[in-house]
Amino acid sequence: MTKEEIFLGNGAVALGLLEGGCQVLTSYPGTPSSEILPEAIRLIRRENLKTYVEWSTNEKVALDNAFAAAAAGKRAACCMKQVGLNVASDSLMSAAYLGTTGGLVIVSCDDPGPHSSQTEQDTRLMARLAKVPVLDPSSPEEARQMAALALELSEEFSVPVILRPAIRVCHARQGLSPGALKDREGPASFQKDPLRWAATPRYRLVLHGELNRKLEAVRKRFEGLSSHNHHDLEAGRRYPLGIIAGGVPWAVVRDILAEEGRGDLPVLKIGTPFPFPEETARLFMDACDKVLVLEEPDAVIEYFLRDGGKVRGRLSGHVPPQGELVPEVIHGILDRVLREDGLTPLSEPGGKEVRDLVMGLELPVRKPTLCPGCPHRASFFAIRKAWPKAIFTSDIGCYTLGLNQGAVDTCLDMGAAITMASGFYQAYRQDGVEQPVVATIGDSTFYHSGTAGLLNAVYNDARFILVILDNLTTAMTGMQPTPGLGIRADGSRGKAVSLERVVRGCGVDFVEVVDPYDVGAMISLLKEAQAHVRDKGIAVIIARHPCVIAYREEAVPRPIRVTVTEECKECNICLDRFGCPALYHDEELGRTALKPHLCNGCGVCIQVCPKGAIVEA
Amino acid sequence: METINFVLSGLGGQGILFMTKVLAQAALKKGCRVMGAETHGMAQRGGSVVSHLRLGDSKGSLVRTGTAHFLLSLDESEAYRNLPFLAPGGALYANAGPRSFPRGEVRAYLEKKGIRWRAMEATRAAVDLGAPLSSNLALLGFFAGSGEGPMGPRDLEETIEMISPERFRNQNLRVFRAGLESAGGV
Repeated sequence: MTKEEIFLGNGAVALGLLEGGCQVLTSYPGTPSSEILPEAIRLIRRENLKTYVEWSTNEKVALDNAFAAAAAGKRAACCMKQVGLNVASDSLMSAAYLGTTGGLVIVSCDDPGPHSSQTEQDTRLMARLAKVPVLDPSSPEEARQMAALALELSEEFSVPVILRPAIRVCHARQGLSPGALKDREGPASFQKDPLRWAATPRYRLVLHGELNRKLEAVRKRFEGLSSHNHHDLEAGRRYPLGIIAGGVPWAVVRDILAEEGRGDLPVLKIGTPFPFPEETARLFMDACDKVLVLEEPDAVIEYFLRDGGKVRGRLSGHVPPQGELVPEVIHGILDRVLREDGLTPLSEPGGKEVRDLVMGLELPVRKPTLCPGCPHRASFFAIRKAWPKAIFTSDIGCYTLGLNQGAVDTCLDMGAAITMASGFYQAYRQDGVEQPVVATIGDSTFYHSGTAGLLNAVYNDARFILVILDNLTTAMTGMQPTPGLGIRADGSRGKAVSLERVVRGCGVDFVEVVDPYDVGAMISLLKEAQAHVRDKGIAVIIARHPCVIAYREEAVPRPIRVTVTEECKECNICLDRFGCPALYHDEELGRTALKPHLCNGCGVCIQVCPKGAIVEA
Repeated sequence: METINFVLSGLGGQGILFMTKVLAQAALKKGCRVMGAETHGMAQRGGSVVSHLRLGDSKGSLVRTGTAHFLLSLDESEAYRNLPFLAPGGALYANAGPRSFPRGEVRAYLEKKGIRWRAMEATRAAVDLGAPLSSNLALLGFFAGSGEGPMGPRDLEETIEMISPERFRNQNLRVFRAGLESAGGV
């Protein structure tokens, strides 16, 4: 296994973890982290390793499980997206104090942009908050090296370590030469020490002191870590401007300087933003009159530099406070700073002419949309039709795109469809108003963090309809299995945990299952549910139909050939309330028409048309 | 070696990722250093999808606007949307009607910047071969047949053969060859 292969950045992380002897690997999927575990499984199979893998039910569960393995002396890692670390933060903060026996790496993937997240938060700030070291790779190759290094550092200093690859590392592809992988020896051996592992607040103070000493030792190590913290200063030379950069922005600015032939601008790369290698940075700062800091998504290095007069970055207004630092943005920032300092500017990037040209073309806006045949589309149509005046709370997954059908009003965080539904209900009931609320949540999201909110709603007598959109997979992030299936991460059998039983176990009396492809049945069930809500309590409908991508054949066993007839009166209900990509308004025909190559034959649109103009061909 | 920059664009579900993978894998076989960037997640659901591929010594995975040597687009509108990536003297390959492409004002810009273009109806070619979702391979064949870039048609064909899933292999190769033929470079 020495030949060069192309790895996805997330594959490089997986490779590095396994090269670092990772024995236990847990994860909850979330863009941009989702491919780490599947890539690890691919390598584990190929190399016949014994590494334990699991899709955990959520990120906190993933971290706790990995932490226990590390407390037992193993090398363990858990992977998640940056907002997943919020869910796991309770565990993270405490784990920092308790420390590890083996190695514990938390991989938390950031999403500057954001491309597929609810925030642009910076994991490096979470690392600072929790007081754990963090490594910030600039490429798949560096992510691989840092993943292995993180496991070693964690074990050496008995402290959890965060690896923070950003989306442009996670979803980059690069040729890498993997070496042979072998299992790390070392059986589980938990040394009982309740004073530490079950520490009371009094001893937590002692642990905090220990953690601070560990961080100082790690900082000293980072000062000398020239493979990841390095600069190209020439001894004795002074520079009017230097650049300090980390992660992806470092890679981008290096490319720009190379293209522009700018050897006059020294660069300090910071691969270990916390604990901050202050001496290394001081040395660089002393050689430069001014310094430009390029990092994302937030300011971290800039805070640590603590020299406001000299430093340009987000805090000084030279770097935009939100949005991704893509190459043309960095080019613009650097050019402006050079001009401001009276230094040679960069070459003219041009581009205004073509931007104006493209703007003037009035190109169609391509907003993301549910796939043709998606069962969620049918569910949203029925919900909107049955309860047009309801507040529609929803959640995180493909089905957030129910927005397009006017059937999603809110999306806060994982599980908030349920908790916001109860919150709305109580807020209105206080005023004597029985406001209808229909909540929608996906199956995987429900297993992730639905039950606590549902228990709360039942206990406090909140009244609403909860529709669990059960497509038998975690679709948005790439079709990972859910606990409902009983198939585990490595494909082996686990025990299937029935959604119905979990819901009943939360104390819900009205639990019905419906196939949303049958729009009429779903609408009458929704009405029945509302009667239960009015008289008795919360009602749960499980709208169950397989995802059309994950289960092509089972989802549409007998495709129906659909056509639109001249009965179409252009009411546009099918376009506005259903919105299948296969249906469009044909200007020439003056009515709705079908794009057969996009249609997957689910036939639901036939039930949607009030004029009966959509028919089986 | 000077970095060669590709930008590939289209809509979610058109197979941009697979197309990028074929180009990257073929370049690697040629001994190029490969770096690329992909779109995953929410944006994949029918939205605009762009992927970047850089062959050479670049450190970053993203192509800067104004520096792409090649823009391959599976959708006409997405070709226009991504025009800012193209460098003067670059080349544009689009899945569009060769007679109507590009629109007048775009044509004037391309001519002024010395950007070459070629269009083929890749979707039609794929549909004709009973593989409506394989327009990506038709356009890839069309690009290969035009004799540009460091990878020749044989390199790409071998790569498609190697990385296609078993059940799509022959179909992928057929569509690729159809694209190759329509470029006039069999």
